Parts: sequence; structure tokens; C-alpha cells
Amino acid sequence: MSSIDVEYAIKKDVRNNPIVREADTRQREDFARTAGAWALIVGMALFAAWQHFEILRNGYQIEKLQHERAQEELLNRRLRLTIETLTSPERIERIAMTELHMVVPPPGSTLVIERMTPAKVDKAIVARAGAMSEIVR
Amino acid sequence: MKLRDPLARLSHLLPSKGRAALTVLTSSDRPGEAFEDAWRGNVKRRVIVVVSLLALWAAAIEARFVNLQVVQHKFLLNEAENRQQRLLLDKAKRGEIVDRNGQILAYSVDTDTIFAVPSEIKKPAETVAALCHAFGDCTPEERADLVTRLSSGKAFAYVRRQIGPEASARIAKLKLEGIGLRTETKRFYPKKELASHVLGFVNLDNVGLGGVESAYNKYITGLDGRSLVQVDAKGRTVQSRMQQPSTPGGTVELTIDQYVQHIAERELLAGVEKFNAKGGTAIVMDPQTGEILAEASYPNFNPNFPQDVRDDDARRNRAIQDTYEPGSTFKIVTASAAFEEGVFKVDDIIDTNPGQIKLPGRSKPITEAKGHNYGAIPFEDVIVKSSNVGAVKIGLRVGAELMERYISRFGFGQVVGHELYGESRGQLSPLSQLTESSLASMSMGYEVGVTPLQMVTAVSAVANGGTLFQPHVIRAVIQNGVRQAVAPKPIRQAINANTAATVTEIMEQVVVSPHGTGGLAKIDGYQVAGKTGTASKVVDGHYSKTDYNVSFVGFVPSRHPRLAILVVIDTPRNGPAYGGSVAAPIFKNIAEAALRQLGVPRSVNPVPPLLITAPANTISQPLVNAPVEAMVTDASGESLVPNVHGMSAREALRVLGKAGLVTRVSGDGVVMTQSPAAGAPLDRGSVISLQLKRVGTVK
Repeated sequence: MSSIDVEYAIKKDVRNNPIVREADTRQREDFARTAGAWALIVGMALFAAWQHFEILRNGYQIEKLQHERAQEELLNRRLRLTIETLTSPERIERIAMTELHMVVPPPGSTLVIERMTPAKVDKAIVARAGAMSEIVR
Repeated sequence: MKLRDPLARLSHLLPSKGRAALTVLTSSDRPGEAFEDAWRGNVKRRVIVVVSLLALWAAAIEARFVNLQVVQHKFLLNEAENRQQRLLLDKAKRGEIVDRNGQILAYSVDTDTIFAVPSEIKKPAETVAALCHAFGDCTPEERADLVTRLSSGKAFAYVRRQIGPEASARIAKLKLEGIGLRTETKRFYPKKELASHVLGFVNLDNVGLGGVESAYNKYITGLDGRSLVQVDAKGRTVQSRMQQPSTPGGTVELTIDQYVQHIAERELLAGVEKFNAKGGTAIVMDPQTGEILAEASYPNFNPNFPQDVRDDDARRNRAIQDTYEPGSTFKIVTASAAFEEGVFKVDDIIDTNPGQIKLPGRSKPITEAKGHNYGAIPFEDVIVKSSNVGAVKIGLRVGAELMERYISRFGFGQVVGHELYGESRGQLSPLSQLTESSLASMSMGYEVGVTPLQMVTAVSAVANGGTLFQPHVIRAVIQNGVRQAVAPKPIRQAINANTAATVTEIMEQVVVSPHGTGGLAKIDGYQVAGKTGTASKVVDGHYSKTDYNVSFVGFVPSRHPRLAILVVIDTPRNGPAYGGSVAAPIFKNIAEAALRQLGVPRSVNPVPPLLITAPANTISQPLVNAPVEAMVTDASGESLVPNVHGMSAREALRVLGKAGLVTRVSGDGVVMTQSPAAGAPLDRGSVISLQLKRVGTVK
């Protein structure tokens, strides 16, 4: 019988059923610590990735909103320009006279009422000269 | 036994050749430890080779890392920044120009500019065809020019700048290769020609080239900002960070009132067209402050399209750039000097016989207009009738030195405005060169060149009691929400108040006297003081007999002046060319409309005063010497509480609501009584009580 045969022929009959494996608390603690550390690392990595992608997403969102705001501001400026163009005295006068057939009031048809600045006293009497009424304020 | 003879089992599985080899191995002379050593050495070598290769591979990677991170660090960092980050210029918007009431006269809005990268365009002709189709208004010249520019192979070329949003959208839709859009700010003048000479204009690069735009360019322009933009692989902006925010340009608030300006331009244009004149100028000034309420020149231009102006004459601000011989309006200066120095009194008689005066050094005598001979007339009539002979005699008696002094005191021969570029000093002979003939000419407004601005400023001094104010068009400048008002600046006391009052009285007679030359400037309800002027123009070195500058200058209401107005018409061709017949009616039209617009109460036979309280602080910057606010209303009585007697509740509410009254109604039917009564002074916002009853009851 060759040595190789001997090597394969040996059968070790090990009966370890009655052996009660003692719990290695230190090993468990090590394992828990390691697993926790890995979980923390992975968690941090995931958080970092989430944060990164959130920043990107928010960046796009901010840019989109800024663009929208710029567009609204531009629209606002354009509308203001349109208002100013439409309220040109020359245009208003042209429409008033040609389309609405309004006329310049003839001399003497208008009068100017002078308005005094309010007196500092609590009550002031203002009245039309020769008129009938007085208003007390 | 299978377990105990694995070799036999293995040999059974192998093919015959392998079985032979196995036989060799399993033979009695099989290799011993030497074989094992050799085998192990072999494995070891191979492992070493593999490990070495792996180590080399790792070393190569590490070396590459070192190369990238250390050796090429700066270069790659720059490259990355160039690709990922862009520095964008945030162009500052030009500030606004507004009138005294905050109405916008010049405004900037972003527009798109189309540019091309000719080196990227393969078919320029087709690209141009597509572009022109989108523009819709390409001329053949522009089309050819575009083809040339797009065929140049250069890195950049403008296609069309500052286009409208619709055309921009059409171009963007085409997505043409080598064609891009960029944002630029464009200056708009929404009131078009209104106050164009005061405002000026800008070029395509938003640099002011005239008027306030040019004079205040640095202030209006503002400061550009910068922002750093991070982009992704697709070129989309991920994040932007403002490095320096842009500072918008300041807002310039003018003293111009757009409505008064419109009135001045409208009436000036009507006058120029009516008299077929070459052009004209009208200036409306507040004589109490020197603020210019309107400054109109004709011909004018549309500053939105300055490039379309073919005639440079249209861009010239005649009010400050043109000098003209004022003619008889200058007699105001002569008269002021004579009174102030006590050379003449108002009732002194001046003999103007025989209607002409001959002076040494002159080939022709100085004559009166239309060959008149006014005879011996009081001083007042020299001005009222505009006697040249009388003015010459006054001037000669006053003397060159005093005349020169008063001419300077009134601001002639010097720049008075200082705000806008191109203002002329006028032309004034030095005292040493003044001959008797020159002095005589100056006394009646010849041989002296003045600008319209100088003339209206001088007359404003007479109007306000003798103080010469610096004329100005800038009322305030506003930057970052802070408004800095420009205070009225008195230059000097040109004449004393008594002299000013005397000259004013004489100028009133010019308008109201039946012999006065300015009768057509009379305004119903207002006292007007004024003076006409007619001066021959110098054509080819000689005084023309056909071309005149005619003018009228005055102020209204003359005793409490609110407006000083000058009208100058250049070369009127229709009808007789006199200041009294051409310029005075234009003055009247401008003054009448402006007084109504500004709510200036009548000064002649004023209606019984109707005094009502007014809300305080309705004017942000009150006018000097103008403590009274005023409101224009219809003479029919809408300023009083309306009469709603007999109206239905709905009708009454409408009428009273229009008048600004709060209505309390009791009863039903039609209005029977109202309190306050109809005709009582109107106090907007107050409560009016109405008592309604059924129609049957009324009957």
C-alpha cells in the first residue's frame, strides 16, 4: 500500500455531538462592532450619495426657478414698457380727439379751485365767499 | 474500497494516454521530494510572475494617479474648471430716466441678439435664407451682407442685434447650426419723439451719445456683476454662485413735465407747419427755481431709431446749441440796465424822430420796423412799441461798460446750464471792441448771439424779482433707493426787485396795450408779460431781407409767475415774419394749455375763491413760493356737491360716487332731500345723506 493510499484510507471518527460550544461573547462583540462600523460606513456612503444627488436635484430646481423668475421679471419690464408706450400723451390725445371726438375745453369753461394746505389748528373753517354753507372740520 | 483507491478511480476516468502517464506516476519509481520541490518551485515562480505583473499593474496605475494628481494637477484642474464652471457676466441694466412725476421716458429691457459662428456653418446661403425667412424683413443688401459674413469662416459674427421676442422665438425654433442667441439690454424710449433732445440716445452698446444719456452716462450705466456657474456634462446649469451682483444704474428724474413737454412740442410743430418755418424752439421754465418744464426743438427725432436720422439738424438741440440774434427781446436787458442804474425813469420822454438814427461807422441808418416814426414817446412805449431808435438812444446813454455788465449779469456770453453737453456760450463782443455802432446794435438785440436757454433764463430773472437761477433739467438722482434732490441754484441777483417790477409792468403793456406788439399772446383770465423779437438772419455775411428769427418771451401770470416761456421760430415763410404775429400765438397756445395742465388759477377777474381743504403732502417736492395747491375743475360746478334731486337711488349713487362722496340712503323712490345741499363745497370722501320718497309723493 502506497503512502498516498494510506493518506486517503484514514478515517477519523470524530464524535463531537456532546461538546457544547461555549459562547464567545468577545467575538460576538467584535462582530457586532465590525458590523456596526460597516453599517455606519455604508450608511454614511449612502447618505453622502443621497446628499450629492439631492444637491444636484435642488441645483437644477433652483436654476429652473431662477430662470422662471428672470423670465417673469423680463415680462414685467416688457409690460411696464407697454404701459408707458400706451400712456404716451401724444397717443392719448390722438385717441381722445380722433376716436372719442373729445375737444379741448374752450377758454373760460374751466376754472381752478385753489386748495389751501390744511391748517395746523384742530378745526378750520373753509367756505366759499358769498356762499351759503360752512364746513367745519 | 473506492475511497481507499482514489488513484484507481482516477485512472478509470482518464483516457488511455492519460492512464499511461498516470501509470508512470504511480509506478514504483515515482518522484519523491525532489519532484515536489521542483513542482513547488515552478508554482512559486509562476506566482511570483503573476504577483509581479499585478504589482507592476498596480504601480502603473499608481504612477498614472501620481501623474494626474501631482504632475498634471494644475493643468487638469484648469481643464475641469473650464469644462464644469463658467463665469457669466451679469450685465447691469441702465437706469431709468423719468419726468418730474415719475413717468418713464427712457427704459431698458432685455432683448435677444443673434450671433453666428461662421466657421461652423457649412451652407451659409441656406442659413441666411432660413434666418431671413424668420426675420421677415431682410433687404437684399442685408441678405448679401449676411452671406458674406457667414462665409468668412471667422469665429464670431453678429447676425442681428436686439431683436424682438417674436423673431427671437422663431430663430430659436430653427435650431440652425452655428447660430446662437445671447441676451443684451436694449434702450427704449416709450414716448418716442417726446423730449428727444433732452434725453439723447444710446448706441448698440448702450453708451449714451447725446442729451442726459450722454451727460449722465457714467451714472446711468451701473456696474456689471459676475456669477460662477457649474454645469454638468450636458451643459445644464447645476449651480450658480453670484461672485459680484450687478449694480443697476441710477435713475435720473428730470424737471421736465411730460404733459407740458407734449404741449410745447405740439404747439411748436403746429406753428412751424403753419408758418412753413425751418424749425423752432420752445422752452418752458419755472422762473422761481430755474427748473425746465419743457424744452422742445423742431425738427426732432425718434431716439429709438437714431440711426434712421439722415439730417443731423434733427439731432441738434437748438435750445442750448444754437445761438441767434435775439432782436427786440434783448431790449429787456437794455431797459433793465437803464432803470437799475437810474439812467432813465419810466416816464422819461425819448425822442425817436424822425424814425431813424444814423451812427458813425454805419453806412445805413437804424430804422424802426415797417418804417414807423413813433415821435417823442415815453420810455415805456419804447419797449411796448419796440422802437429801435428809442432802444439805441437808451443803450448809448447807458454806455458800453454798463451794458456789458448787465449782459453778463443776465448770464449772456457764458454757459448757464452745465448739465448737458454742447451748450453754447453765445457770442458777445469784448468790451474793448465795442464801438458806438456795436453798442447801438446790442441795445436792440443785434451783434450779440444768445441761446434760447440763456434768453428764457434772463427773463425768468425779471419774472422772479431779479434772481438769476441756474437753469436745470435734472430734478433728482436716485441710486439704491436714495433720492438726492437737486436744489435750485441762484447764480446772482441780476437786478433788484424794483427794477424787475418796473420791467414787468412794461412787459405787461406789450401784451395788453393796443399799441403793443405782443397782443396775440394775450390769454383770457391771466396777466401776461412778454416781449416780441424779430431779427434778420445773417445769410452769406449779410443781413437777409427774407430770413428772420422771430421770437416771443414772457411769463405768466405776470404778478405771480409760474411759467416763463420762450418761443423762437426759425425763418417763417408764410405771412409776415414778426415775433408778434408768429411766435406770440404759439406762446399763447403753450401757456394756455400748460396753465390748465398745471392748475394755475386765473389772475384776471378771478372767480370768487372756493377754498377747500386739501390732503397734505400731495406733492413730493413742493415748488418754491408755491404754497397753494390747485385743482382744475369744470366751470359747470362739478367741484360742488352735485344736485341729485329727483334722481333714482342708483343714479344718485353713481353721480355722487363719481364725485368721491360716500352716500347714505334712507327711504325709497327718488331723492327728495340731500345733505349737504347741492352747490355746497365738495369735500371728497365726506358723507352725503339722501332722503328718498316715492314718485307719487313727489307729484
